[in-house]
Amino acid sequence: MLAKYLVRRLLASVIVVLGVTLLTLLLMDRTRGTYVPGIDLNPNLRPEDIARLRANLGLDRPFYMWYLTWIWNVAHGDFGRSMIDGSPVLSHILDRLPNTLELTGTAIILGVLLSIPLGVIGALRRGSKTDHALTVVSVAGFAVPQFWLGLLLILLFSVTLEQHGLPWLPSSGAASAINGGDILDRLEHLIMPATVLSFFYLSLWSRFTRSSMLEVLSQDYIRTARAKGMSERRVVYLHGLRNALIPLITLIGLELPGLVSGGLVVEVVFGWPGIGKLAFERALQYDYSTVMGITFFATLLVVAGNLLADVLYAILDPRIRYA
Amino acid sequence: MTEALLEVQDLHTVFATKAGNVKAVDGVSFEINPGETLGIVGESGSGKSVTALSVMRLQRPGKIISGKVMFKGRDLTKVSEGEMREIRGQDIAMIFQDPMTSMNPVFRTGWQVAEPVRLHHGWDKTRAMGVAVSMLGKVGIPSPASRARDYPHQFSGGMRQRAMIAMGLTTTPKVLIADEPTTALDVTIQAQILDLLRHVNRDFGTATILITHNLGVVAGMCERVVVMYAGRVVESGPTSDVFAHPKHPYTWALLRSIPRLDAERHEALKPIEGLPPDLIDLPSGCAFHPRCQFKVERCSRDVPVLNRVGETQLAACWVTQSGVELKGA
Amino acid sequence: MSLLPAPEVEAPISTFEGEGSRPAQSYWNESWQRLRDNRIGMAAGILILILAAISLAAPLFTQFVTHYEPYRLDLLATFQPPGHAHLLGTDELGRDTLTRLIYGGRVTLGVAFLTVGISLTLGTSVGLVTGYYGGWIDDILMRLVDVVLSIPAIFLFILMSILFRPNPVTLAMIIASVGWGGVARLVRGEVLSVKQRDFIMATRSIGARDVRLIVRHLLPNVLPVLIVAASLGVGQIILIEAALDFLGLGIQPPTASWGNMLTNAESYFFHSTWLVYFPGITIFITVLASNLFGNAIRDAFDPRLKTH
Repeated sequence: MLAKYLVRRLLASVIVVLGVTLLTLLLMDRTRGTYVPGIDLNPNLRPEDIARLRANLGLDRPFYMWYLTWIWNVAHGDFGRSMIDGSPVLSHILDRLPNTLELTGTAIILGVLLSIPLGVIGALRRGSKTDHALTVVSVAGFAVPQFWLGLLLILLFSVTLEQHGLPWLPSSGAASAINGGDILDRLEHLIMPATVLSFFYLSLWSRFTRSSMLEVLSQDYIRTARAKGMSERRVVYLHGLRNALIPLITLIGLELPGLVSGGLVVEVVFGWPGIGKLAFERALQYDYSTVMGITFFATLLVVAGNLLADVLYAILDPRIRYA
Repeated sequence: MTEALLEVQDLHTVFATKAGNVKAVDGVSFEINPGETLGIVGESGSGKSVTALSVMRLQRPGKIISGKVMFKGRDLTKVSEGEMREIRGQDIAMIFQDPMTSMNPVFRTGWQVAEPVRLHHGWDKTRAMGVAVSMLGKVGIPSPASRARDYPHQFSGGMRQRAMIAMGLTTTPKVLIADEPTTALDVTIQAQILDLLRHVNRDFGTATILITHNLGVVAGMCERVVVMYAGRVVESGPTSDVFAHPKHPYTWALLRSIPRLDAERHEALKPIEGLPPDLIDLPSGCAFHPRCQFKVERCSRDVPVLNRVGETQLAACWVTQSGVELKGA
Repeated sequence: MSLLPAPEVEAPISTFEGEGSRPAQSYWNESWQRLRDNRIGMAAGILILILAAISLAAPLFTQFVTHYEPYRLDLLATFQPPGHAHLLGTDELGRDTLTRLIYGGRVTLGVAFLTVGISLTLGTSVGLVTGYYGGWIDDILMRLVDVVLSIPAIFLFILMSILFRPNPVTLAMIIASVGWGGVARLVRGEVLSVKQRDFIMATRSIGARDVRLIVRHLLPNVLPVLIVAASLGVGQIILIEAALDFLGLGIQPPTASWGNMLTNAESYFFHSTWLVYFPGITIFITVLASNLFGNAIRDAFDPRLKTH
């Protein structure tokens, strides 16, 4: 039954992915006839040069040919070539992917590890000072611009600490250029960006855990559990949390694409050499094909993440009947 | 009544709300003897469920403010939470109204049925599961070994209630409290579950407290009945006597509001007039007096106490305690 | 066997089922009542109104309060700290920070409200049409929604912003190009549930035309959900817009926006930290107020959704 459900979900995903390629290429189509990157930087290009450039990039073919070629290439692992340096987009992505995963993975794990206990505490001590404090923190987490929080951290932990001759944290990059790259060095670089990013996840998931937990704790089966004479700990953490986690895990699954796209702003602020920063840099250079390749790659992950969330939900919640 | 198994004495449970304290249980007393079947009957809001939950000390967010619940020589309102946990599910088991929501959806049924013996007797998984399966069989679940591996949602409502009962019985408790166990079920299933409860009572010797708003259920099941109104006991006694000669106008009115096979043809059904009282602001005196057609002047002034009326019954009514017979117009 | 008198039923929360074609008057009154009783929510709402008023009256405000033009350079007064002459100091070109914040508010709030407007209009139309007609229209448009919502928004924004080089209006359209999808799903779901109720069918049988049915009957019923969605969306949109501006992919200088005032923040770290603080604080407070007001609106208009 699960297999059948999987196949159906997979088919739906393929349709969505095809739709995404069509949509993004339609968007890009606007640039095909007129624009080649670098043109406005280089007024000396002759018309035949431009024509040659366009031909090289495949921009002179009719749209459907262009589209079909693109699909064909993607199916063979070719996400296109950069308009700037002509190198394959996928190799750029794969270059940067480990850095991005290091950052976002840390943030998501931190977020999960902190938000679940905090959410449970908030639910158990509903209305207490602790609960109110946690609420304030998470409301703030929703409202603070990530990039600004990053700037503030750099200002405090890099600039000000250094000015006072105190130990400070590096403000940019994933590792030091000189003698860097060992674990301690990477950790030092990771602290601030991961903090900023996980703060957001923390706000999101601790709220969610709290309300999910409150909802679950008011259910009849919790009363049944208590009536069986088990400890409050067992009631809350086994019978309660096991149920409260079901929607939470789905939510986290939906956030998995954030592994690639969620850190863009933070990567830019902290000069973190990840995929987001790559997209940003290429965008500033009007390297459409790279930006689009990255976008498409990230979309594949979104679709996969949604699929995974659905499957997880189906596995975790015995009531779901893959319908 | 020294041989009583469980004795509730002048129990008061309140719920604090913005509008004021709700006196959900307002001085309730009753006792149950080993192996006995006791019905607690009353309409919604009469405090019958809160009474049962208070016995288990699961009345939160309500608070027990006074009274005693004597069980095995101990006052359950005073024992530590740890001791109370030992009693819950082991000496006193409770099953609830809605079997569809009272079982944890994410654990297998057998696992849930086995949980009390694992908790209380410390049995390992295999041994506990063996008991669970045999108990599921005893409560009438076909092919219990394979059904034990199913999740609750794969059970029908009636089957789930059977599983709930099995869950309560694995530890062979002295008392089984069944809170509206059939209300959420189809009529035909209701009869089967009641039948099962009767068997449990007979075969295991488990004293059963059956909480219901259905007088018919009480008539078919219970040796004694306690009638509650507005958080108080208004009448109690052997079921047959209470049904034949109610000694409280509320009981009397209740019995007239339901069809009876033995009723005389021309007697029309009479619903009770008026509304159930506001538990935050109870009427003065007898809480039933605004709806009572027998009331006398004293009823709105003094709260009646539960006293012997007739051979076997207790009633909290100034009118019947003064010897007046309840007769309808 | 009979039951005792029927149990008292709790007073139903005010929904508008069975009230005819639109939410009953009392629903709006009660919602308004609940909103008024929410002190934090009301304070947040008033703060938003004040910010909006200041933005609208920006020229007046700068003329009489700050006395500076947003784009006037004063190279003799660069990096002035907050003080009498410049309440919140000046930037690297000697422009008055408070003045630029006020004008930036025009842009930022303007883009935010425009984005909400476009998302709601488009999303509601699509949701109403797909929910009402179903069939192939529904299939195609909802697959389109799936597609749009599958693309990580930030990449789509970046892609579009290099393709369209946004001004405030196009920026709003870019952000709304994702926002409408969620609204469409929401409205469609609501329409499907409204459609279940009888009065629509009854109206249909007396020959009401589709458009009339949609506008006069369905729309008022989805209005509460829309109000909630709109009020919860503003804060998030401000954050997105600020981030795009900060990245240099949104509103372009010299036009001031709260986000692009922070684009060069690194260069202020060593001397002019107020230039880092003030725009960020402004964004933070505005988004905070929007979110709190949005929560209050949700609690007031949709008690079913009320969080614990």
